[in-house]
Amino acid sequence: MHIEIDEISKTFGTTAALHPVSLAIPSGALVALLGPSGSGKTTLLRILGGLEFPTSGRVLFDGQDATGLTVQQRRAGFVFQSYALFRHMTVFENIAYGLKARPRASRPPRAEIARRVQKLLELIQLPDIGARFPSQLSGGQRQRVALARALAIEPRMLLLDEPFGALDAKVRKELRQGLRDIHDETGLTTVFVTHDQDEAMELADLVVVMSGSQSGGRIEQIGKPQDIRARPATPFVRDFISA
Amino acid sequence: MGRRPLIHRSPMPGLGLSMGITLTMLSIVVLLPIGALLLRGAVFGLDGIWDTVNRERVWKALFLSFRLSLFAAVFNLVFGVLLAWVLVRYRFPGRRLLDAAVDLPFALPTAVAGIALTALYAPNGVFGALAKEVGWKIAYSQWGIFLALVFVGLPFVTRTVQPVVEEIEREVEEASATLGAGRLHTMAHVILPMLTPAALTGFALSLARAVGEYGSVIFIAGNIPLLTEIAPLLIVIRLEEFKYDEAAAIGIAMLAISFAMLLAINLIQIWSRRRIGHV
Amino acid sequence: MSDISPPHFRAATEEPPLARWALIGIAALGLAVLVFAPLIVVFAEALAKGWLAAVKSLGNRDALSAIRLTLTIAAIAVPLNAAFGIAAAWFITKFDFRGKAFLITLIDLPFSVSPVVAGLCIVLMFGANSWMGGWLVANGYPIVFALPGIALATMFVTFPFVARELIPVMIEQGRAEEEAALTLGASGWRIFRTVTLPNIRWALLYGVLLCNARAMGEFGAVAVVSGKIRGQTATMPITIEMMYNEYLSVAAFSLAAVLTALALITLLLKALLEHRHAGDLAAARRH
Repeated sequence: MHIEIDEISKTFGTTAALHPVSLAIPSGALVALLGPSGSGKTTLLRILGGLEFPTSGRVLFDGQDATGLTVQQRRAGFVFQSYALFRHMTVFENIAYGLKARPRASRPPRAEIARRVQKLLELIQLPDIGARFPSQLSGGQRQRVALARALAIEPRMLLLDEPFGALDAKVRKELRQGLRDIHDETGLTTVFVTHDQDEAMELADLVVVMSGSQSGGRIEQIGKPQDIRARPATPFVRDFISA
Repeated sequence: MGRRPLIHRSPMPGLGLSMGITLTMLSIVVLLPIGALLLRGAVFGLDGIWDTVNRERVWKALFLSFRLSLFAAVFNLVFGVLLAWVLVRYRFPGRRLLDAAVDLPFALPTAVAGIALTALYAPNGVFGALAKEVGWKIAYSQWGIFLALVFVGLPFVTRTVQPVVEEIEREVEEASATLGAGRLHTMAHVILPMLTPAALTGFALSLARAVGEYGSVIFIAGNIPLLTEIAPLLIVIRLEEFKYDEAAAIGIAMLAISFAMLLAINLIQIWSRRRIGHV
Repeated sequence: MSDISPPHFRAATEEPPLARWALIGIAALGLAVLVFAPLIVVFAEALAKGWLAAVKSLGNRDALSAIRLTLTIAAIAVPLNAAFGIAAAWFITKFDFRGKAFLITLIDLPFSVSPVVAGLCIVLMFGANSWMGGWLVANGYPIVFALPGIALATMFVTFPFVARELIPVMIEQGRAEEEAALTLGASGWRIFRTVTLPNIRWALLYGVLLCNARAMGEFGAVAVVSGKIRGQTATMPITIEMMYNEYLSVAAFSLAAVLTALALITLLLKALLEHRHAGDLAAARRH
């Protein structure tokens, strides 16, 4: 799905989080929102997911205005930094949650839900953990379960907030490749937030470098990883990627 | 068993003193008196206890106490969870006042609560007169007992659930919404299950308190044998007749039943804690 | 939260305004009927015949003796239970021993015993027809139907309050500070006074406050052991009952109003402690 962000700004009370920003994300792209903390990248991601509403500006999905859509209507697969798994549910129940929450008319039958969950468990290469509780999983496993849970609702796009932030270096590398594979397999438009430039450069097709200031976060440069490396558009970008 | 010493060696001072005070006072104030009750029961014999308890008036009183306590605890479970949610999540004028009011039943002497509730809900009281209009008798009926038990058990569920509501991560609720669940679905399937262990603890405390409650009930109950006579009152009546054995028998029956209930609820709680685990 | 946004922009973690106000309404109505109304009625009934009648009824000999007795009982039971609470919390949190969980259960036991049964236990142990009670009465130390029995019954029902408050706080604080003091050569008493006590004082005060409120208001256990001798073993709650049963409404409610005022002061102090010293209270109290 093609996503267009048109002059979006956001203020919380009196603090500006986002200066009006615009951005077009082509269908099927894997995009990194890269920037230091306070650059508004998570706010922008949450606006896309419908968890936050812009103070001004519009969001367009495939050319249609989606600004007023509720979270539920957006069908965006969202992976939280803390994963936000449901602790009182098994892995199976976590992944099946979105399907079971659908209104009766569009809810798949029980056997179909079980089949889809199993398929997703295989996609994340953890076919045997359906009966476990989140507390019995490692950090990397939790992250993958959160991803599978987001994919279960057949999302129109995939949004990830610092998906590898809580993991140690080794697991992080493994899971980067995993995300790339899943993206290539599903073809979903994917946006992830990170403050780690290696992660952004290595994984993304398109990198959006953001910076923070008193008047809110803004976009410094949009480009392919190699272009940003070769031709930083502003001093901020040059400093940030050489850091 | 032999491998672990009874008390680990420690450089900390005051072992003898603190252990001595603790065990001596615990024995004199709590254990020996309870032992005296059990001893009295043992001397009276199981047959004697059974003969005492197995009478219509005693059964009715025990059943009344436990049934109405259960109803009151269930009411407090629902209302307590609602109250905890409202007090933690919403901001509205008067919130602090409501929050403070929740503790009043802890602080107000039960006899005061008893006469106050009676004054309100008796047929000539403010609410009692209203109820009378529609033919509803509250004071001097089982409704009155229920009301008094709701009052004394009110704070427990709210106070155990409140800290848990505060700790719910917003992201978990947001995750549910991004997966397409409406607010009601999130409430029923995500939030309430998370509150369950704490709510059950509060429920158990509220139940235990209600079963043994005396002061707030006797004024409003009417105390008619077989109808509105609670088990603790029956003990008091037996004592006033100097029938110590019978009083002890009913007391032991109450102890046994309330421990059995607490045990059952603790098991449910352990089970639900285990399901949720600790991340 | 997003005030500027149009109404359909509702955060995912919020209920619709209508639901929110309905829930607030139920909560407020419930508390109004269950808590505020009884509170108001106590004062309304006390003042039904005017201030003068209310104050006069408090000057009555029975009422004065009840107030004196209740204060005496609290002055005995509360410090003793506070001492017990400190000793028990020290024993439980500073040492490792087998059966600790069981000991904590035993300390909590009075909360699951009906006050009437608690009173019954004390009557059976110290009553004139028990062997110990018989001996004590014969030697001129009656316990039941006298002050010691009332104090004991009050201690039974308020037994866990201070210990329960202190144990979690002292577990949280650990032993490091006391151990440090120990290496600096401080004596046990000195460590307690200069290191432990300053750390637990607010929790201690909190426990004492709750213990005191319950001690002054205890009815069931005291009703059983006191014998209700007017002017001698009738505490304030017992006197309220006697006056109420004699249809002395103003007198009963005036005495009740004194206890209610005390309860309100307790709540006020409690709220103040929770607000000012939240960090020094048990984790479960912080909200």
